Amino acid sequence: MSGGPIEDDRTLVERVADRPGPALPWLGAGLVLLALEFGRFLGWALSLGAGLRFAFDGIVAIPGWVGGNVADTAGSLAGFLAQDLTALVVLFVVASVLVRLAPWRIVDRLELGWSRKREAYAERLAVTAVLAAVASALAFTPAGSILRFELEVAAWLLESVAASIPTLTSPETIPNQGHRTPGGGWEGTFLGLSPAVAWAIRTAVVFAYALACLVWAWSGYDRYRRHYRQADWTPRDDTVRRLRNHYWGLFGLTIVIGFVVLALWAPAISPVPAEANIYQPYEHEFEYLGEDGEVASITHGAANINTRSDGQHTVAPLSYDQYDRFAPLGTTPRGQDLLTNLAFGARTSLIIGLTAIGLGAFIAVVLSLLTAYYKGVADVLTVVASDTIISIPAFLLVMLISVIFSEGNHPLADPLDGGLLLALVFAFVFWPGMWRAIRGPSLQVAEQEWVDAAKSYGQRPTTTMRKHMSPYIAGYIMIYASLLLGSVIIFTAALTFLGLGISPPTPEWGRLIDQGQPYIATSSWHVATISGLMIVLVVTAFNALGDALRDAIDPEADVGEGEETGGATTGGGV
Amino acid sequence: MSQERLSADRPTTTDEVMVEVRELKTYYEGGGLFGGTPVKAVDGVSFDIHRGETLGLVGESGCGKTTLGRTLIQLEDATAGEVRFDGVDVTTLRGDELYEWRRNAQMVFQDPDSSLNDRLTVGEIVREPLDVHERGSPEERRRRVRELLDAVGLRPEHYYRYPHQFSGGQRQRIGIARTLSLEPEFVVLDEPVSALDVSVQAEIINLLEDLQAEFGLTYLFIAHDLSVVRHICDRVAVMYLGHIMEIGPTEELFTDPANPYTHALLSAIPEPDPTNDRERITLHGTPPNPRYPPSGCPFSTRCPARIRPDRYENLDDELWTAINTLREVLRERQRAERSVRERLRARLGKETRFGAIEETREELFGDLELPPEVRTAIDEVIDHAADHDERRALARLAEEFGSVCDGEGTPAEPELHAVGEGGRRSFCHRHADGYREPDRVLDARQ
Ligand code: SF4
Repeated sequence: MSGGPIEDDRTLVERVADRPGPALPWLGAGLVLLALEFGRFLGWALSLGAGLRFAFDGIVAIPGWVGGNVADTAGSLAGFLAQDLTALVVLFVVASVLVRLAPWRIVDRLELGWSRKREAYAERLAVTAVLAAVASALAFTPAGSILRFELEVAAWLLESVAASIPTLTSPETIPNQGHRTPGGGWEGTFLGLSPAVAWAIRTAVVFAYALACLVWAWSGYDRYRRHYRQADWTPRDDTVRRLRNHYWGLFGLTIVIGFVVLALWAPAISPVPAEANIYQPYEHEFEYLGEDGEVASITHGAANINTRSDGQHTVAPLSYDQYDRFAPLGTTPRGQDLLTNLAFGARTSLIIGLTAIGLGAFIAVVLSLLTAYYKGVADVLTVVASDTIISIPAFLLVMLISVIFSEGNHPLADPLDGGLLLALVFAFVFWPGMWRAIRGPSLQVAEQEWVDAAKSYGQRPTTTMRKHMSPYIAGYIMIYASLLLGSVIIFTAALTFLGLGISPPTPEWGRLIDQGQPYIATSSWHVATISGLMIVLVVTAFNALGDALRDAIDPEADVGEGEETGGATTGGGV
Repeated sequence: MSQERLSADRPTTTDEVMVEVRELKTYYEGGGLFGGTPVKAVDGVSFDIHRGETLGLVGESGCGKTTLGRTLIQLEDATAGEVRFDGVDVTTLRGDELYEWRRNAQMVFQDPDSSLNDRLTVGEIVREPLDVHERGSPEERRRRVRELLDAVGLRPEHYYRYPHQFSGGQRQRIGIARTLSLEPEFVVLDEPVSALDVSVQAEIINLLEDLQAEFGLTYLFIAHDLSVVRHICDRVAVMYLGHIMEIGPTEELFTDPANPYTHALLSAIPEPDPTNDRERITLHGTPPNPRYPPSGCPFSTRCPARIRPDRYENLDDELWTAINTLREVLRERQRAERSVRERLRARLGKETRFGAIEETREELFGDLELPPEVRTAIDEVIDHAADHDERRALARLAEEFGSVCDGEGTPAEPELHAVGEGGRRSFCHRHADGYREPDRVLDARQ
């Protein structure tokens, strides 16, 4: 029997420290990869931070909103009380989460000898009190505005750092925007190459870098598994093995990864900056070699008017427009670069998809755990709620809610020109379906004897749900999430196609189809065709991935295979 | 397996009572929001468990033995009654008291495939109770887990294996290690070997006996395999339809059963001793639905020794079987929920899906020779039933053929009569004065 020493109770860090051989090269490679794109990673972290801040501001606004509503009906004193009460409730929820995450507890140190439940609540209340003190200090003293100012300065600093650090794939490192020189060469492009070649190199570098990251991650898993993991075999090994042999799924995974890379590296893959070409076309100029042989400059907005693909004129894929801007996929009927639109549209779709499905799946999982564990009234209420939502046609509901919010100019309708609102609506519309889909497995796992066993030695219900039930429905929710991600992308595109979902300028694939659709029979066929194909491809890929996950997770799929893993046989020798 | 050697090995049990169960009832509500008739899984049982003994709990599947075991360790809420551990009624414990008490009473589950979470390593599984009860430092917990693995015949290096890598018998050992991790005094063994290969059953049974001797455990051994029970248990309780029919020392109960149900149960085991002249007792029908148990003795619908009215004592057995079946049919018709439409049809004298009671009569009594007074009585019963008045039909049937066993007279339920020498008790009217003992009746009626 293989495996490390018998009494291997060292932590992972200790195990790595004792035998750094396989880990060091991997860590080194990781550092190199990080350094090459550090500025970009920093940028992502900052956008994430901005997203979190938006969510934070939203939560902070809840007490004031509740207070305001109460004050309208019940007078201002009641309003203040309601506001404070809501604030405390919000803080209590936050405290409960914090207590969960904290490695130790205050009350344990005090040795109060209270009951478990009482200690748990005392702990939460104590943390709530601390939070409340901090919050009021921030709200009622200058400390708050100072802190906010400090944070903003820090964010600004980081942003400028992120912008100034050269990254491997940035358009500054491998520039493809330049103008022809009267002599016949190119000015301002990478090594004086033509913009097309420079763009191709940059895009190739992006995908090569992404591939390197994947290889690095896989090798990390592999090294961990071979050198540092205590178990010779885990059930997950089988899942991974089945996934590796699922070619349809691997095809899907490849496309999905390509889609994600397109979204994450959109600024690098776009031949022209989105800011200049799409968002503020009249603020940004570029230079080109005019017909008179002089280098002139023009704004993107003015140039775009002449580079439309609207049936009469066409800038076809893989060609230059009349200002010598290279358009790998041609231009849109508005004269913008199609690939830039597609890349940033992928970003929009990904953000909406992940937010919607993430939120919806979270609601579905939490509810399914609660209803499967407690059954009874909780179950009935959830059935009623989900049936109500399901009984309304989803598309209608989405249209209804998004129209109400965007007509009312609700602040939620601002981010991504309605994208965030759409994501929240999708989460609301899709959770009942996901809950239904995982209800069977959750009820099944709740019936397992190990759940009874956990109860019999007094495990907390929440821990039982997390540890003994959720791993068994995680697979199912992943399957449905990946299938639904495709639907979300289609829904978003369809709504935008109808002019309801995401308004310009935020790029969106559905709008591209809408714009290109009248010219499908002309020389400008490429706009709607390419965008449509992209959607079909990505949706199919997500479905393929879902299928593969289902086959990989479902042990029944393994029955015909004959050979079992090595692990199953090594355990037998007692 | 030599009976003598193992009996000699058995640790001497004290007479100190550890668990007192009194009038315990566990009902399952009838699903859905609006209750409905509950399933009476455990319907008023009383018995004691002595410190250090192994009490067997046997019965057909569905008789409530698993529910009883689960109620004892508070996996199910008792509907009524008491379970006193060392004097403390644990059915009233809540919150922290319950959590503290739980470590004293643990359970070995039936299905080793279902009792271990496959996503955790063996070490994590066995360690979890220690983590929940915060026993010692993490290193101490790991050491303790390795000791436990050793104690149940596994190896310490199995700590980082997953349950998938083990056979059924080994998985059951892991489950036993987890059960013992909190050093409980009382362990419910819920058919711990019935899901295992016959070849490993004996190993697990021996392991359980060794562990009992080593840690001074008290077992409640739930089983339907009577030979295993005879082998391992000091005393046995026989359960039927939520009631304990007979309880007493194992050997006494096996060699000289008192209750008619025990007779029937034992006669189903292939008899190793050919000289034994005990005849096989066949039970007719299936156990009644525990949602609607019969009044009187729970076994009355199938009992071969049922007390009969004197004037019908010598009626043919086949005829009695037919009468019993008729009563079951009527009871079922009575409680069947009929749709409004069917009620209307019945009112109008039309056919309903319950069919003509005449057909039932023909099926049951067609081939039988009926004495005149029996024929008259049956005719009246059938007439009432044909009018869809099942209540009166049943009343007429009870009046003519009923006895104490069916709940006619007081007390409706039998008492637990003391029988034999070893403190054995049997739940049957026949032990009361004025009736013949069950074994004599059974012999006579065979
Ligand atoms: S009470 Fe009557 S029906 Fe019940 S076991 Fe005894 S003889 Fe049989």
